[in-house]
Amino acid sequence: MESASTNLEPLFAFLARSLSTLEFAFNKLPGSAVIQRYVKSSHQNDPGRTLLELILVIFAIRTLLQSRTRADRTGKNFIQFSEKEVDELVDEWTPEPLGQPLSAVEQAELAAVPIIAGPNGPKPKLVNTGKTATNLASFNFTGLAGNEHIKQRAVETLRKYGLGSCGPPGFYGTLDVHIDLERDIADFLGTEATILYSQGFSTISSVIPAFCKRGDIIVADRGVNFAIHKGIQISRSTVRWFDHNDLKSLEDVLEGVEKERRKRRGPLTRRFIITEGIFEKDGAMVDLPKLIEIKYKHKYRLILDESFSFGTVGRTGRGLTELYNVPAEKVDLLVGSTATGLCAGGGFCAGSQTVVDHQRINGPSFVFSASMPALLSVSASEGINMLRSTPSILSTLQENVRAARAILDRVDCITIPSHPASPIIHMYIRSPSASSLHPSSAAPSKPSNPTSPVPRDAATWDWDIETEERLLQEVVEEALAQGVIITKAKRLRGQEAVEPRPSIRLAMTSALSRKDTEKAINVVKSALVKVLSKRR
Amino acid sequence: MPNSSPSPSPMAINVVAPAPSMFKKRSSQSAAPMASAASYLSALSQADARARNTRAPTATPALSLSSSVTSSSEDTVLHDSDFDNSDGLSLPARPPTSEQVFTTVHTEFGHCANEEYRLVSQHTAGEPLPAHVEQDPPYYILLSTYISYLILIVIGHIRDFLGKRFSPKFYTHLVPRNGYAPLNSDFDSFYTRRLKTRMDECFSQPVTGVAGRTILLLDRISPDYNHTQILTGTRTRALNISSYNYLGFAQARGGCADAVEESIRRYGVSTCGNRLEGGSSDLHTVTEALVAEFVGMEDALISSMGFATNSAYIPALVGKGCLVISDELNHASIRFGTRLSGANVRMFKHNDMRSLENLLREVISQGQPKTHRPWKKILLIVEGLYSMEGTLVNLPVILELKKKYKFYLFVDEAHSIGALGPHGRGVADYFGVNPRSIDILMGTFTKSFGAAGGYIAGNKALIDRLRIRGHLGPYAEAMTPPVLTQVLASMASIMGIATPSPADSTALVPASHPAPASPSSLPPWLTLPPLLSSGTEGRSRLRRLAFNSRYLHHGLAKLGFITYGHPASPIVPLLLFNPGKMNMFHRMMKDRQTPIIVVVVAYPATPLVTSRVRFCVSAAHTKEDVDCVLRACDEVGDVLDLKHGIPKRERWDIERIVSSAVELATS
Ligand SMILES: Cc1ncc(COP(=O)(O)O)c(C=O)c1O
Repeated sequence: MESASTNLEPLFAFLARSLSTLEFAFNKLPGSAVIQRYVKSSHQNDPGRTLLELILVIFAIRTLLQSRTRADRTGKNFIQFSEKEVDELVDEWTPEPLGQPLSAVEQAELAAVPIIAGPNGPKPKLVNTGKTATNLASFNFTGLAGNEHIKQRAVETLRKYGLGSCGPPGFYGTLDVHIDLERDIADFLGTEATILYSQGFSTISSVIPAFCKRGDIIVADRGVNFAIHKGIQISRSTVRWFDHNDLKSLEDVLEGVEKERRKRRGPLTRRFIITEGIFEKDGAMVDLPKLIEIKYKHKYRLILDESFSFGTVGRTGRGLTELYNVPAEKVDLLVGSTATGLCAGGGFCAGSQTVVDHQRINGPSFVFSASMPALLSVSASEGINMLRSTPSILSTLQENVRAARAILDRVDCITIPSHPASPIIHMYIRSPSASSLHPSSAAPSKPSNPTSPVPRDAATWDWDIETEERLLQEVVEEALAQGVIITKAKRLRGQEAVEPRPSIRLAMTSALSRKDTEKAINVVKSALVKVLSKRR
Repeated sequence: MPNSSPSPSPMAINVVAPAPSMFKKRSSQSAAPMASAASYLSALSQADARARNTRAPTATPALSLSSSVTSSSEDTVLHDSDFDNSDGLSLPARPPTSEQVFTTVHTEFGHCANEEYRLVSQHTAGEPLPAHVEQDPPYYILLSTYISYLILIVIGHIRDFLGKRFSPKFYTHLVPRNGYAPLNSDFDSFYTRRLKTRMDECFSQPVTGVAGRTILLLDRISPDYNHTQILTGTRTRALNISSYNYLGFAQARGGCADAVEESIRRYGVSTCGNRLEGGSSDLHTVTEALVAEFVGMEDALISSMGFATNSAYIPALVGKGCLVISDELNHASIRFGTRLSGANVRMFKHNDMRSLENLLREVISQGQPKTHRPWKKILLIVEGLYSMEGTLVNLPVILELKKKYKFYLFVDEAHSIGALGPHGRGVADYFGVNPRSIDILMGTFTKSFGAAGGYIAGNKALIDRLRIRGHLGPYAEAMTPPVLTQVLASMASIMGIATPSPADSTALVPASHPAPASPSSLPPWLTLPPLLSSGTEGRSRLRRLAFNSRYLHHGLAKLGFITYGHPASPIVPLLLFNPGKMNMFHRMMKDRQTPIIVVVVAYPATPLVTSRVRFCVSAAHTKEDVDCVLRACDEVGDVLDLKHGIPKRERWDIERIVSSAVELATS
């Protein structure tokens, strides 16, 4: 402390000098005498007060300068107009309509959306047709939809907690049942802690900006889902893309990033690998052990979206970490959905205590949104209990997946990019040219540009989105006519970073028996053959 | 001061301790109230300790005490293992007379039979909306506030400086380690670590049970200055003036809950999937139609989360080449959505119509930056009722401006839907304007309806576009049946259900807005008890809320506090300024004989100096509950030196306020 004050000596001298200059100038101002007298007398009474007032003045000036809403009239692009000209410009301006009405195709698309009458389940009734059909479209992987025990627990919870929590978690919205579910998930997965979000979709797009800031580096798979894209977009981090599910490409990109950093001699920033367990886009599965190895080698943190693998793979549905026997702690941020995996609602992010605590203050959709209704939280907890105690749920699901693949893999008018164990099965129309469909099967050309999410071979994609969508919709309708609900994977054309190839997406469920599954899949198969062979 | 709450952690006293000790001499005069506050607190905790030592464990509650409520309330009371009415929360102040029948549980929804305590929430036509004035406190308050922050910041930095050198193990997560950059830099987390942690006792309080008129707190203590919180296992019932339960529909009993139970039995808890790929249910269709009817728009779309309704549908409305004009105090979800949309964003001063008009003139005449091309579209996004200020949007003026400047208008009615207007239909209803003069109405069900999720309403073409072009349709889980049913039931009971006239059953579509719901708008299995379906109770809830809001607002003002916002607003912010007072206020309200829980908010949710308490009034509160809050504020306000709104001679004494509640509320 003492040495600091001696160091500051010249500074004080300088200050004193400038102060006297200022004082001289000040004395020349009219009215200065009054102020001077005030300051003097107040200083005499209470020397500290001068300091306080000085601080106040500084703060006042700062506040004035900080006015957030001041119009930017100083830019060199600003054109000065007279009031009259402005009025004219205002009169002239005609905005575009807020939303364009739907085209005929879009209208048909909306009209064809399946609407379930009454409870959803393996064989629900459809509003569209008024008939019961086998459901291979809805996410009921674990078959927990309509489970009587869960319903009973939900009713009990309702009678104790009411429905809504009426507040964000920070302000009396944290219920004991939320704490319980967070602990249940953490125990189930084997992580230190978990944080609950009230919607699965908003989880990852809130987790990413909570950690990834401007200047941080994200290396992401080209095939990640829409929510991840949005999270990356809002984070404003530097993004590099690697080829879809290609860990060799990941390593190349990581090395490229490191090279770049060394060249620029940039500081050490946070670095993340973002990918999915089972990809929503095509059902491919990441090689987790290899991925973990890479992330340790390059000192990256891993954000893994397990929305479609939590509750669907592994012996008891713990997801990829169970399937590959990797401790979940090795995944820095493990994001999952209790809505898809457990037929309840909401999403979660599991990780270390630090990771979770950080989100409690910085996760936008955690902080600024009401917490999940108590009964959904309890339903999810019950779902976990059931997965733990009934391994047959997952074995039935996997058996159904295998049964379905056994049939579909032999249909030659389609190709299936999904992993054999994936409970979501995507089907593309096989291209007549039989050219490359997977980036992996393509002849190794030059690597794609890591700064763009669009892969290099996008130029060679020879499918016509519109035609394929139409054909697939015919398949969907044909299957429905035969009593099986399936759906195209719905996309936001024009808003996706990379236009995904049109596909039909089946969602398998353990609620159907193997026989029923095979029957339904055979219906799908004949619909595919019927519609697609006509085309040739 | 007997007290039923558990042992208070020593935090509150420690928190303010550094401030006076540093500036001992200087602040002796301005901190005088604080000193007495500290002594007040220690006296409190002593009394508390005494009370706890002497209090015998209470036995099973006397069930007969559960008063006139429906027999179903027994459960709720039974769950409350330490039922006693020493806090005055479990039983109504006045026992009901034999002809009064209350269908609600008093702890969830207070019994209030006095028809005097009712008001209609309505704007007087033609009257200008009072501008948002931010009343300034005396200088010494401002000054001490700045100094408090200064001290906190300085001490924080000193602690960091020394801490990093002497106990580096506490900083390992903040510094680069093994080639990993810290997840959170010490600079970014400074505010959280050094300022917020001191007040953590005010935040994230775990609770259990219904977030109704009262709420059960899970008591907790912190043995290590708020680094960890430990639940003690005891519970305290507190008066809840913090939840967004404006119309009191957070209930575990009653017609709505019965309907929800029925829906769980019929539909289960989930519709399994997203709206476009197999997660849509007939309940969604029914609910969307009712919501559209309720808000007076052609069509509506619902989503499973209010935040996502903004963050995912705004990008579907505007994009590159468009401009979003946003009130500076708009909610985080709106900012999130506009940032994702890629549109340009300009902000105007909160609720300042002049600033808005100037901005409009500027942006339209200048066009897009650099190119000066005209904007494709301009979307003005405002909130109906601002959740931190309690201010109402100046809708009449905005609609005037809209005619001239041709922008599109998006109103986020998260807090105003249900809570404002003679029919509870939000700001448009409050100001008596046609909702269809607004392009998009958005709102959430988490507040007035006691449910979850949100809606967005507009003309049919637009909403259909959002259905297939919005982010949520193909990618987000659909709203679940119990939530849908809560929305249906609560909304129908606010509207009332029209009795079908046998003469012409075809004329079911009500011609005018706002009208009761048509009987066909609910699924056939959903029947509401007569009190709800007739709309009697809904009306009474709306009017109780309007009375309580105005009463609390004017009551606090007459006590001498500085409050913000419109008197009709159920959100009543009371200004505290000094950060040290936040903990104290929270604490002193919670440690009263009738514990009251409050929400305190500070920077960064508010500007640096204007830390505040935010009360959220509910229709579930009785007049006595508001009295109770006013009395508590009166006492605490004296101790903490908070009354800077009006000069002493103009203030009213608490007894006068309590006895002239009706006069005050209607003033
Ligand atoms: C203005 C506004 N919009 C949106 C939301 C988000 O709503 P929800 O809590 O339902 O996600 C809130 C909630 O606080 C809000 O205040």
